[in-house]
Amino acid sequence: MEILAKGIVLGLSALGAGTAMIAGLGPGIGEGYCGGKAVEAIGRQPEASGAITRTMIIGDALAETTGLYALVIALLLLYANPLIGKL
Amino acid sequence: MPTALMFASESGITVNGPLVVASFDLFGITFNLTESIIVQWIVMLILLIVVLVISRNLKVVPETKRQAAAEMIVEFFRSTVDGTMGAKYGRHIPYFAALFCFIMLNNLMGLLGLRNPTADVSVTGAFAIITFCMVQYNKAKTGKFKGFMKSFVEPMPFMLPFNIIGEFANPLALTLRLFGNMIAGTVIGALIYFALGHFAVGIPAVTSLYFDIFSAVMQAYIFMMLSMSYISSADCGDE
Repeated sequence: MEILAKGIVLGLSALGAGTAMIAGLGPGIGEGYCGGKAVEAIGRQPEASGAITRTMIIGDALAETTGLYALVIALLLLYANPLIGKL
Repeated sequence: MPTALMFASESGITVNGPLVVASFDLFGITFNLTESIIVQWIVMLILLIVVLVISRNLKVVPETKRQAAAEMIVEFFRSTVDGTMGAKYGRHIPYFAALFCFIMLNNLMGLLGLRNPTADVSVTGAFAIITFCMVQYNKAKTGKFKGFMKSFVEPMPFMLPFNIIGEFANPLALTLRLFGNMIAGTVIGALIYFALGHFAVGIPAVTSLYFDIFSAVMQAYIFMMLSMSYISSADCGDE
């Protein structure tokens, strides 16, 4: 019975980790949008490419954050599972 | 709680946390001397030697390539700080230069086969706490007591809880951004080495090129830039 309970928790944690990483969609879309707009802006004003690239990198980094939150949660569920101790 | 081994499966995928080299008790608190701290000492030593070598015998008109390189580095940080924060933050230049160089070398330590200290949440947390303290200090200094208190009820008084949460969300995001990027490189490296088995030639080099070199320099730059914009946007003086 103990093993069954542990198995259920571990299996559902693995599912949860996978589900959490769906959040990877958001940063993907956001960074793509950011990069596309930056290319448009450089095409329109090539002399400002340095400033545009710098701003784009900051925007990328901010868009990436939500994905990294999901990654941290997925890693917690896989490597340092807080739920298994509650059985 | 630093763990020696984060995860080791029977199939042979291992992802290590920072090793605890030694631990000692002081005033009832247990201090752990981890691998991250040792590697940071190595980084400090490298930085110290490079700085001492590069700044010897400086002339008004640069004669050596060494001095030209040093001037290029200083000029890069000066223009970055001036462009992002404005000229009145000139005295922050050494701090940001040190921050960038230290984080970048920490990230690059993976190339030497050492464990990245930045793939340890306590190290990146410490960097973020420094930035957090500087943000609060700058806010208190530019706005005095009244401006400091007023910045929390800025658009409307009912925004107070959101402002307080937002104040703590910035260092959390900084911590997790650097940590997440570095630990992702470590985990993906371990997975690729496991998946390729004995044929681990070529492909790990490509991912290492991205995670250990490109991502390392980029994340250090992003950490520096975001710290700059947080600190300069905390300015609540009357302009």
